[in-house]
Amino acid sequence: MPSALKADGITVQFGGVVAVDNVSLDVQQGTILGLIGPNGAGKTTLFNALTGFVPLKAGRIALHGQDVTHLAPHARVRAGMGRTFQTERPFEELTLLENVLVAAFLREPKRRHAEQLAMQVLEQVGLADRHDQPALDLNLARRRRLELAKALAVQPRVLFLDEMMAGLNPPALKEMIGFVRELAAQDLTIVMVEHIMEAIIELSDHVIVMANGHVITEGLPREVIEDPRVITAYLGED
Amino acid sequence: MNRHYLILSGLVVLGILYPQAFPGYLSVAITLLLFAGWATAWDILGGWAGQVSLGHASFVGLGGYFVAVGASQYGIAPWWAVAMALVAAAVLAYLWGRLTFKLTGPYFTLSTIAIAEILRLVAINEGWLTGGATGVFIMSLPEPFGLDLFARQTNYYLALAFAALTVLTVIAMSRNKFGYQLRAVREDEDSAMASGINPTTVKLKAFMLSGALTALGGGIYAIFLSFLEPHVIFYLLLSVQIALTAIIGGRGTIWGPCVGALLVVGSGEVFRTTFAEANMLIYGLLIMLVVMFLPRGIVGEPARYLIRRAYAKRAQS
Ligand SMILES: Nc1ncnc2c1ncn2[C@@H]1O[C@H](COP(=O)(O)OP(=O)(O)O)[C@@H](O)[C@H]1O
Ligand SMILES: [Mg+2]
Repeated sequence: MPSALKADGITVQFGGVVAVDNVSLDVQQGTILGLIGPNGAGKTTLFNALTGFVPLKAGRIALHGQDVTHLAPHARVRAGMGRTFQTERPFEELTLLENVLVAAFLREPKRRHAEQLAMQVLEQVGLADRHDQPALDLNLARRRRLELAKALAVQPRVLFLDEMMAGLNPPALKEMIGFVRELAAQDLTIVMVEHIMEAIIELSDHVIVMANGHVITEGLPREVIEDPRVITAYLGED
Repeated sequence: MNRHYLILSGLVVLGILYPQAFPGYLSVAITLLLFAGWATAWDILGGWAGQVSLGHASFVGLGGYFVAVGASQYGIAPWWAVAMALVAAAVLAYLWGRLTFKLTGPYFTLSTIAIAEILRLVAINEGWLTGGATGVFIMSLPEPFGLDLFARQTNYYLALAFAALTVLTVIAMSRNKFGYQLRAVREDEDSAMASGINPTTVKLKAFMLSGALTALGGGIYAIFLSFLEPHVIFYLLLSVQIALTAIIGGRGTIWGPCVGALLVVGSGEVFRTTFAEANMLIYGLLIMLVVMFLPRGIVGEPARYLIRRAYAKRAQS
């Protein structure tokens, strides 16, 4: 299977703090990588490093074989990365359709085509009937789905999801798990940070566990979760 | 067809008839139209892209000086001078944006004040070209198709065409890719980047378009005044007035800057005659009131209210 995302020796430093220390990963096309670890482990920072939102101290990143290490975030999106933010960031002054339209314009410069694409994505995440609602007034579950829709509208090949499930009630969680599974079935490659173990176990093909900026272990979801080092890392947090 | 195009067509028709109805009030109408155009052009950068400039007098002055110096020193026809001014304005905006878009929030705004200051100093010190501190007169202009460019009526129609062109540009922009890129960058640059948008490029384009359109109005202004002084045209007050016009009317809205022009120029006429020196004080009060009670401006605030109410109603039913 071809490698969709390959990162070597990713290191990020904030002042004196090494937030991500020499992390490597290799994600096969159409698979889901789960990234877990206690709060402050460096998951979001690793995400930001892979997507270009924080500068690297060291490391290399390749997207479908293309070296994207020195590309700006927007250029990485153009090259095929899509991402959500841990705290959703809708354009609050715009409607749901317009929010997604902004992203859809990347691949479809003509308004009519971009609008078709945006509506299609809104349908995919179940927000089509609300397309002309201002994004300001959405509840959490819908904000998450809008965040997902925005990331999908750039038609990524590798999708980064940062804690999409946190705080969702059981039906909304089930629904979100369904969306992600469907996306992977369409050959999209997914990297997801998640605290909800149910989602990690159900969705991930491979799991990486981080603590204090390091990878402490990785493997199949069931194996990893029973690993004593992982249990210590999580319990040590409290 | 978009209803904004219809409104604009209606207004242009009214504008064409206006000189017949009020032939004695052309000068104030010209000022109003120029401010409507400048504020609309300013708003592409200040409202749509969210980068507040207090240096747009630079572009007015650039357009004005190209026309005036071109006519008085080199015998260049004003349309060619304006064409050159548009290029110069775009280049100036590009260079200035490159230097300053790294600055965030108020620092960008403060840096724009310097643009007009620098140009004013150039205009004063390079007297061989610009006439120096005393300024430059436009003595004669060509008469295309027998048209007297100095005539008030001609000035008026030029100003009308200018205002209509800027509004037309913004209406078209508001629906297309560029308009959405601007709004995205204004709201959240990180989120815009996640949508594949390069914020710097988008802001540069907005600055260049905004500056070039403003310079176009500046060229018309120079013909209207037929005399340019560096102190008057590269003056912070003019930059502030342009920005205020858009802010009071409603940043990032299609009609806000025009409504602002109606208010600012209209009340300006009243204030100038009634309050004389207290003019600036009144401007200050006006902007404070708007910012405190209508942060989205006179057009922006109700527009937003109506959109949200319409949606809430439909969501209930
Ligand atoms: N912009 C930043 N500046 C300084 N320190 C940061 C910044 N972002 C994150 N950190 C630090 O880096 C570490 C990892 O944080 P983060 O990546 O958010 O962890 P996680 O997502 O796993 O909870 C934390 O110690 C955090 O305080
Ligand atoms: Mg995090």
